[in-house]
Amino acid sequence: MPDLSTIYQIISYILPFECLKAGFMQQAMIGLILLAPMAAVMGVQVVNFRMAFFSDAISHSAFAGVALGLIFSVSPHWTMPLFGLLVGLAIMAVQRKSTLSSDTVIGVFFSAVIAFGLAVVSRDRSVARDMQRFLYGDILTISNNDILFLLILFIALLIFQILSYNRLLYIGINPTLAKAHSIRVATYQYYFAGLLSLIVMFSVWAVGVLLVTAMLIVPAAAARNFARSAGAMFWWALLVSLTSAITGLIISAQDWANTATGATIILVACLWFMISVIFSFIRRDSVS
Amino acid sequence: MNKPDLLDKYADTAVSFESVTVEREGILILDNVTAMVPRGGCTAIIGPNGAGKTTMLLALLGEIQYKGFIHATCNINGRCSRIGYVPQRLTFDRGMPVTVTEFLAMGIQKKPLWFGVRNDMQKRSLAHLASVKSEHLAKRKLGALSGGEMQRVLLALALQQEPELLVLDEPASGVDFQGEYIFCELLDGLRKEKGFTQLMVSHDLATVTHHATHVICLNHKVAAQGPPRQALTNENLTAIFGMHMGMVDSRSMPDGSAICSGPCCSKDQDA
Ligand SMILES: Nc1ncnc2c1ncn2[C@@H]1O[C@H](COP(=O)(O)OP(=O)(O)OP(=O)(O)O)[C@@H](O)[C@H]1O
Ligand SMILES: [Mg+2]
Repeated sequence: MPDLSTIYQIISYILPFECLKAGFMQQAMIGLILLAPMAAVMGVQVVNFRMAFFSDAISHSAFAGVALGLIFSVSPHWTMPLFGLLVGLAIMAVQRKSTLSSDTVIGVFFSAVIAFGLAVVSRDRSVARDMQRFLYGDILTISNNDILFLLILFIALLIFQILSYNRLLYIGINPTLAKAHSIRVATYQYYFAGLLSLIVMFSVWAVGVLLVTAMLIVPAAAARNFARSAGAMFWWALLVSLTSAITGLIISAQDWANTATGATIILVACLWFMISVIFSFIRRDSVS
Repeated sequence: MNKPDLLDKYADTAVSFESVTVEREGILILDNVTAMVPRGGCTAIIGPNGAGKTTMLLALLGEIQYKGFIHATCNINGRCSRIGYVPQRLTFDRGMPVTVTEFLAMGIQKKPLWFGVRNDMQKRSLAHLASVKSEHLAKRKLGALSGGEMQRVLLALALQQEPELLVLDEPASGVDFQGEYIFCELLDGLRKEKGFTQLMVSHDLATVTHHATHVICLNHKVAAQGPPRQALTNENLTAIFGMHMGMVDSRSMPDGSAICSGPCCSKDQDA
């Protein structure tokens, strides 16, 4: 097991809350501090690429991923991200080759992975109870190994974003234009789809299948309202997601709230979004 | 064919289309199109709506599948390594917060835009905007530009590629008088200075006769091609547009060359 105790000490120093004394809460906090910015930054591009439905389909393939693990008796920790990655790349490939509209392609994949997951789960009642965990997410049971994996993913994503943030924006504006101006559009799209699939699968752990898309989209949507430039959009998305994750976790652990962590985080993010809408209205009025 | 032979064959040709056929949903959009684009010149593709002009450019850019061959040999190495493209209209998400300066930088700047646009990059894009008389747009949001402003920014973006081949799809649609001047005279000047090849689609026969050095008349097939005087005859125009186009030779053919400053107007260029 990797030793993360120094990080935990730093956390409890910066955020001196009673609820953060417990080990599992500290782990959850670290997990969220790693996961939330990743989801937010990828979310900026998900919104630009209009890929919300894509990420929805990936998150729903979590069931099938776990089911596969059960069939081959491999830990779902492995089958879930791997299966998500596979589905993500497959959707991207079919979407690029086919003349069908992208939501049709995704819809077909969506149905297939859901049906497969349900078919396997329905054979076994005890598994069905386990599946609840994926519906609502369970960041509080995150292990040190998960955190280590998140850390690796975080670094990979950081490198990817540093190298391709500008180019992804370009592709998001218009892929034909980007390609004509010698951007390797296909390569970027596949890398993006792969990384996004992995991040979506880890977000399933944190906030559950039902709320993954929210974790990607809501900070980016708020950022769009706040920001005046593509550079600023990045920072706003980071700010919104991090503050939502931290306050969400702390609120959910209070005695008066005692709510599901994932849902609480998303609610805080949605509050941010509402503020951003008001902000953009005020700005529009003052400009015109 | 090996490379030296190829280069020999295409010595004066920037792009050559050879029996290019594009079929979409069972309809022949380009039917066995064979045409060439002379190097260093301004080639215009003309034809009615739906003739396949945009399709021809997209095939050249590798954006759609086609049968046949397209050889792009802009430079002496037999390649077109830098292409500038101005699309007919840019469909994009207008809600995206991107400034014009960022738009011009995002294809070439390595440092991620979240640290801002580099100073030299800002200067560079400002210079390119200035060349299309649009410096004032630098700080504006891309989604808030008018149609003509957008066309100018797209031209600045294409020029920023320092293209060997500049592909323009109805560049002057929606731009004002000054804009038309920019899109024609400015590009004529730049082309002479930098020696790139220009390939454009245009519906404005006056522009074509004044500025093009080579014309391809297209209506799914190539009806005619050659220097404007030879290609833009009444018979050819009637053939592709299906109506009599008498106005062309009476009003805008550059016989009284005084109004025309384009390179096509001087006699020696025509030959
Ligand atoms: N994505 C597509 N799928 C199917 N058919 C298409 C598609 N895009 C264009 N077409 C068809 O191809 C034909 C040629 O289209 P194209 O855009 O090349 O015309 P164009 O010559 O550029 O016309 P315009 O002057 O209106 O710009 C049209 O009949 C059009 O319906
Ligand atoms: Mg067109």
